Amino acid sequence: MFSKFLTTALRRTVPKPCHGTRRLRLFSTAAAAVGEPYEEDTTGITMKGVKISGRPLYLDMQATSPMDPRVLDAMLPYHISRYGNPHSRTHYYGWESDQAVEAARAQVATLVKASPKEIIFTSGATESNNISVKGVLHFYKDKKRHVITTQTEHKCVLDSCRHLQQEGFDVTYLPVESDGLVDLEKLRAAIRPDTGLVSVMMVNNEIGVIQPMEEIGKICKEFNVPFHTDAAQALGKVPIDVEKMNISLMSLSGHKIYGPKGVGALYMRRRPRIRVEPQMNGGGQERGIRSGTVPTPLVVGFGAACELAMKEMEYDEQRIKALQERLLNGIRSKIDGVVINGSVERRYAGNLNLSFAYVEGESLLMGLKEVAVSSGSACTSASLEPSYVLRALGVEEDMAHTSIRYGIGRFSTEQEIDRAVDLTVKQVEKLREMSPLYEMVKEGIDIKSIQWAQH
Amino acid sequence: MASPSRVEVLTLFRSLLRTAREFPDYNVREYTKRRTIDGFRQNKDLSDPSKVTAAFSDGRSQLEVAKRQAVVYSLYAPKVKSVMELNQ
Repeated sequence: MFSKFLTTALRRTVPKPCHGTRRLRLFSTAAAAVGEPYEEDTTGITMKGVKISGRPLYLDMQATSPMDPRVLDAMLPYHISRYGNPHSRTHYYGWESDQAVEAARAQVATLVKASPKEIIFTSGATESNNISVKGVLHFYKDKKRHVITTQTEHKCVLDSCRHLQQEGFDVTYLPVESDGLVDLEKLRAAIRPDTGLVSVMMVNNEIGVIQPMEEIGKICKEFNVPFHTDAAQALGKVPIDVEKMNISLMSLSGHKIYGPKGVGALYMRRRPRIRVEPQMNGGGQERGIRSGTVPTPLVVGFGAACELAMKEMEYDEQRIKALQERLLNGIRSKIDGVVINGSVERRYAGNLNLSFAYVEGESLLMGLKEVAVSSGSACTSASLEPSYVLRALGVEEDMAHTSIRYGIGRFSTEQEIDRAVDLTVKQVEKLREMSPLYEMVKEGIDIKSIQWAQH
Repeated sequence: MASPSRVEVLTLFRSLLRTAREFPDYNVREYTKRRTIDGFRQNKDLSDPSKVTAAFSDGRSQLEVAKRQAVVYSLYAPKVKSVMELNQ
């Protein structure tokens, strides 16, 4: 058995360099021929050296979602004849655009139970997060020098916090439990008299756990600390009530709810009023918080997507829940060693983050070319490092490497789920068949007891 | 507006399903079909005339949207189909 292990290991390591150079060369030719980066003919697609017979089935809704045709239908007039600048006050073109923008603001506000006056349109949740974290601390910098956030936040919140640290602010990165949830007592203990902001995301982008918003909001109210939440993954999927949750600032995104990319919003509480220092200075649009012309078509699309989400939330949730169960049961009934990352009870059904024991994550993803899934967030999936979110949960390195995030959405079908189950099971079985580790485990050897180093 | 007759409702239902088939995109096509069937099933016991009328006019406007978007989608349909439409 050990000889087999040796040969497998050899076989695995030898062709690797060649593979690397081939990929490199392919990449450089692709860069040279801009505008023709891949071949597409009626028999299939060739891209990055991979040939697929058709467009892969899409299960990566946390990265982005396809636009709903009803949203596109609302947007198109503003791309064609209604092109006025919504800030033009002197003619009809401006007025009609302004009216459309205000209607969209009301649609967004209704979905989160806020007043339209509290909605600021931005370019997306990343910008909203930056305005919230940096803007609040910069505005109150004389008295407030401390921020509390969690280790599983999105990169843009963590990076904004790091930026503040460089300026001399204090940041507490709260650890999370093994189910991905924040410990409320730890949060309470971390609050100081000079704490200027608590930032906890509502639904995690990688593992889909839903944080206890109302409880966190209560603690923040008790200490009178502003509460910011990144709700990009939560909007339209879980009910949001800014009053009940005592949210002071909230980041929203359009393209996660079947709306257009490049638009988002920031909710800013008016009573009690929260103030921020703007990141973008200029014409004073959006109450001076975010200068720059508001993109009417995108905002109209975002508004339409919010109204649709409101109407369809119940229907979508039932369906997505059924599909998630179908996916999970399908995989679990055929292979063992499958672990769900993050809390099972408190999670958004459209996100299923699974780890497969004894397989190598990268090979698994490469083998699943007909399924568009990712190992975690789109920002970090380019690197080979395991996700920091999974590490914060205390997931073991080998399990963190083999995580796959299945994102189910409004347009997913039962057939797609069945196909994804089939392909995943086939690929995992194939990889395990080759894996000496799996063989050893089957023979009853505890792999943790193996000494890998030979010197 | 008077509440629609049975024939009118059935015609709307069939038109929506027919338009759904015109979407070249696999996911949108399946969704439109499914949402139409589920929507009509959900409203099959509506008896309040004003509610029936409201649901009918909503369905009519959805049909208009679907007709327009089926054209837009077919103008930009990718050459390669989804793996779900190809034989395994």
